[in-house]
Order: sequence, then structure tokens, then C-alpha cells
Amino acid sequence: MSFLKNIAFKQKIHLITDFFYDFVLIKRSIYAVGISLLFSFYVLQTSTLQFQISATLKEAGFASEDKNILGSSAAQALLGGSGGAEGDGSFKDFISNMRSYAMAQRMWRQGWGSKIYGNGDLNAEYFNAIPKNHQTSSKIAAFVLGYDLSEFYSAYDLQSYIIRSFKVAKKRSSGTLTVSALKSNKDFTITFMNAVILEADKYAKETLIKKSNEVIASTYKQLATSKNSSISSALGNTINSEYYKIGRLENDMPFLIDIIDPPHSSEYPVQPNIAAIIYSNLIIFFVFSVLLSFVQKHKEDLW
Amino acid sequence: MVNEYFRIVNYGGSLEYYIFELANFSALAFPLLIIYKLGYINTNSLIAWLAIFFSPLVFNYFLFSPGLFGDQFMYARELIAQKSTLDSNQMNSSLWSSGQINSVALSAKVLGLIPLPNFMTVTALAFSNKLILFLTFLWFKRFFKNENEVLLFFLIPSLVLYSSMALRDTLVVVISVIFIINLIRGRALLPIFLLLPLATLKIQMFAILSLYLVAHLIFQAHRGKYLFSLFISILAVIIVMFEETILAIINLYRVAFIAENFVAEGLRSYQAWHLYGPEDIKSLEINSMFEAIYLAVLKLPILLLMPMPWNWSNLFFPLQSLESCLLIYLYFKLSFDNKMYQNSEFILLTFILLIGLSLYALIMANEGTFVRYRFALYYPFLLGLLYIARNSSQDTKIFHQKMPSK
Repeated sequence: MSFLKNIAFKQKIHLITDFFYDFVLIKRSIYAVGISLLFSFYVLQTSTLQFQISATLKEAGFASEDKNILGSSAAQALLGGSGGAEGDGSFKDFISNMRSYAMAQRMWRQGWGSKIYGNGDLNAEYFNAIPKNHQTSSKIAAFVLGYDLSEFYSAYDLQSYIIRSFKVAKKRSSGTLTVSALKSNKDFTITFMNAVILEADKYAKETLIKKSNEVIASTYKQLATSKNSSISSALGNTINSEYYKIGRLENDMPFLIDIIDPPHSSEYPVQPNIAAIIYSNLIIFFVFSVLLSFVQKHKEDLW
Repeated sequence: MVNEYFRIVNYGGSLEYYIFELANFSALAFPLLIIYKLGYINTNSLIAWLAIFFSPLVFNYFLFSPGLFGDQFMYARELIAQKSTLDSNQMNSSLWSSGQINSVALSAKVLGLIPLPNFMTVTALAFSNKLILFLTFLWFKRFFKNENEVLLFFLIPSLVLYSSMALRDTLVVVISVIFIINLIRGRALLPIFLLLPLATLKIQMFAILSLYLVAHLIFQAHRGKYLFSLFISILAVIIVMFEETILAIINLYRVAFIAENFVAEGLRSYQAWHLYGPEDIKSLEINSMFEAIYLAVLKLPILLLMPMPWNWSNLFFPLQSLESCLLIYLYFKLSFDNKMYQNSEFILLTFILLIGLSLYALIMANEGTFVRYRFALYYPFLLGLLYIARNSSQDTKIFHQKMPSK
């Protein structure tokens, strides 16, 4: 064990002891700890409490069945797309719907904009005229480039609010989707998240019903002019499948997703993390006091 | 509790973010002072490493958005999931038990072993990278008399930048450095073990370093020009024998990287490639080994000098371009100043580096990605050259000493 002899343990221990006596076990360290506690108290007092609100969703069976009727999975397979193969096609549709402007418009018409940006009055005359404040930089940019800034809040603002607030995560291989948000107003966020999820699903259903009705109408026109029996039979099948689809969609059952866990809030605020802030500040102030003492003592060496 | 898996809280560039990350910096700075006091590093190293440890706070959120290197969130999310729920976002338990470890999960596992006070934000992993890099510096510098010279090689901007990110590049670089130095020192056992994590972390590096191991261990190609010639001859025969398989692999990566970088009609990557990619993919493929060699020779200078001025799209590209020139200059300077071209160990090292770079030249597509890939390959070989150059008189054999005429 000759390499152990080379380490000179006694000398090293002596050096470490000196280091602790010179820089760590000094009055300044106690002051640093005290200041760190005061600073932590200040940070905690000025922080906004934020709760984690989340909902767990599962891909509904109907959506994939209807996709097969439409044949879109086959189309995706031909194009090499992976959406259908991984079974998260309806999740993607759900997320796209949730973040769409059309969806924000529907929510706006229901008066959600008023609850977020105004006093909650559901009168359209009120919530379509909630004055909007713009940042100075936006005002300057609008002035320089010569365009008008919107005077009132609109569905665009609601759309960005939904995109900004709600994070959507799919855990690999679990088959569930989590919609979550960090908000201080937990009761409102729970209600709003619930409304967004249901409306996104409803919007998808209504779009598909409208689409099916259009397909049926145009197929009937084709059927009236068709003289070939095999084509007529194929068109008849299309009409049948579209009616079947409408039948599946015109009910209160969820289409794209099933709600496993409805929106709910964490019991305690997630932010600020009290313990992490206190011990992080302790470490910072303590080490910086050691660094300061160290630099003061080794000024000459360091320069 | 179905949905209670942990989600990384995005603190952004808030006060809390800086508190958590300054605590991580402090946790690295404190032992650094003790190490200095114990005499393991000199004053220059102390100052430089304090700056290097601080650098993660300068990049993410401060100089640029961490979204610029978006993969960071994947590693951070995985590490936080592993630490908070003992579960992985990337893999299910059957994959863990079967040993098919995903590169993100493995990187997060290794980086998570570093005892830092906080793993709260995306930047925390960068501090793990910094400590791993510092330990490598401590190990590496003991082979040299001049600590300051070694320190300069750890101040290369790309190394500072990539180790300031929550990416696996530092792990790949460190493993490769330890692999190469140990192999040059004639210690083969550790390099063989190091190939295991490398196979998961970066398959390309695994392939290149495996070839180096075979050349070193089996052919002893570092011992003289005849053994080196034998290695090249057998390698050529193997390449001819398995030409189709080798070309198929190269073509697969070549098309995959082009597809990954493909943008069309507002779509990106594979999604855009599936819809708007060229119909004749065959035209992108390499059909013979001669074509591969010809293309590699043409593209190698571009790979070495990239990012080219006409591709500069952010602040880092001009700096990286200058750095590319500096790295090439360093390699040539070390080689010529120490007459390395006569050293058989150097010849083998450079040959393997050229093979690796040629492979990258054949498959390169995205500038940013391949600047990173090139660095992760080039840097360990550069340190290998530094080691040979400074230790050549003791450890390595000179070509002409082996010549029969002498």
C-alpha cells in the first residue's frame, strides 16, 4: 500500500483542520446563516402560492374505432405516419383541439374570458369590451411599424392563456395523458380545466358530425347520378358508415378521451418549495462567506 | 394515484431558479477550495474552475433560452422522475430488468449520482456534468508536469458550453478520454468495461473506439508500421467482405439524419420527410465503398471547419467556427512540435480519428448537431495526442526504431 504512504494523511488532515478553523468556524459564518434565514423569509413572503392542478385522461375507444371506419389509420400507415400505430392519434387530436383558436372562441362565447380578464359578468356586451393594457415595448413596436393594437381582450388572449397555462404530458408506454397547471387560484383553475377538457372533446365531436353530414350529402348526390351498381353499392356503404358514425357521436359519451381523474388540486402548494429555498439559501450564504474569507486571506496568491 | 407522477416545475429565469442553482454552484465551489488548500490544484486552476463551475448560470435562461438545446428538458424530466418516483419517464420496468437501457435514462441515472443539493431545474444536471469534468481534470493532469497546459485544454469553449447544458455529451467525452488514455497506457481492462455504457450513450463512439481497441489489443498496431499495415490490410479485407452491410448502415444513418433535419410546408423532421421527402431516396444513398471514400474525402474539410459562414444562424456559430480552426491548429501543432508523425501510437490514434470523422462526414446533415458530434469525437483524441506528445519519450515506441535497417 505504498500509494497510501504518499498521500501523507497527517499533513492533509492538518491542512483541512486549518481550513475549517480559518474559514468555516468563524463568526462570519454565523452571520451568513442568520442573513440567509432572513433572506429566505423575505423570498417566501414575496412568493405567490401555486397549486398543482391536474387531470388524467385516457384515450377513448370510440375515437380509434371511428378512425378505422374513416380509414385514416391506413392512410397514415401508407404515409409512414406513426400516430395511429402508437395509438396516440386521438390524444394528438385532443391536444390540437384544446389549443385551437376555434376552441378558444367557443370558450370565449361562454364567458370564460370575462372570468379571467374581467369581473365574471357573462353579458357579451361586457366581456367583448374588457379594456386591454399593452406593454410599452408592444406600444412602441406598433407605433414604429404602423399597426393597431387591439383595445379589448379577445379569444386570441384566451387561446394563449390556455396554451400557456395547461401543460399536456403523455407518459411513455402508460397510455394516459396528464393535463396540468400551476396556479394560485385553484378553485377557478379546476373549473376552467374541466370546461376546457369537455369543450375540446365536444368540439371534436361536432366537427366530425358536421363532416359526416357533408359526406352524406355529397354521397347522395353521387348516388343519384351513378349508373354503375358496384359504385352505387360502395357509395351506399359510405352513407351507412357515416350514419353509424353520427349515431355514435350524438350522445353524451366522451369521444376522444375518457376522464380517469377529473381536475383536482394538490393539497399543499407546490411553489414555493419552503425547505428547498431555506437550505439553498443556507448553502449559498455560508459558502459565499467562506469564499469571501478565503479571497481576503489569499488576496496576494490569487492576484 | 394514477396521475401523480412528478412533473418538472419550470422556474424559468426566476429568483427561485437562481437560488437553487447558486446553491449547486456553492456545493461545488466549497470542496474546490479544500482541494486547492490540500495542494491538488494550483491557483490558476482554482480560479478557472470556479469560473467553469459558475458557467451553467451564464448560459441557460441568461444568455439564451434552454429551448435552444431542447433535449435538456428530456434529461431533466427523466432525472427528476427517477429521483422523485424511482420510476422512469423513458422506460418501463421490464426494459430496466432486461438491461435494454435507454440513453436518456442511463445519462440521467449517472448524472443523478452526483450529490448536489438540488435537482429542481433543467440546469442542475449541468452542475453534475461540471463535477464529472473536474474529476476527469484531476485524474488527467497527474500525467503532466505542466498543470496550466492541461487546464487550457479544459477551457476550450465548446467543452465549457456543452458541459453547461443538461446533455449527455460530457459523459461521452469523459468516458472516451478515460478509454483512450488507458488504452495508450496499455491498460485494456477498463476500456473494455467502458465500452458498455458507451454503447448505450453513443453508438457511433462505441463503434469507433471498439475499432481502436481491436487495433490496439489484437493487432498491436501501435507497436510498429508492419503491425499497423497488417491491421489496415485486414480492415480493408473486412470492409470489402461486408461492404453491403456497412453501406446499408451508413445509408440508414445518412437518410435518417437528412430526414431529421428536413423542413417543408411548416412541418419539421420525420413528419415533414414522410409527407414531402424526395421520392427517389435511392439517389441519396451511397452505392460503393469507393464512392463512400470519395465523398468522405470531399466532405471531411467541411466537417472539420463547420459551421461555415453562410450557415451562421446564431451567436455561437462564428465562435464555434473559430474554435474549429483552433482545434485543428492544436492537433497539427502538437503533432509537428513533438515530431509525432514518427510515432506509431500517434499514427494509429490519428488513423482512428480520421475514420471516425470520415463516417461523420458521410452522414452529416444538421450543422448544430454535427458540430456537437464532431467535438465529442475530436476532443478525446486531442487529449490522447496531448498525452502521447508529453509522454512519448517514456511510453511509446518510435517508428524508425522498429525499422529493420536500424
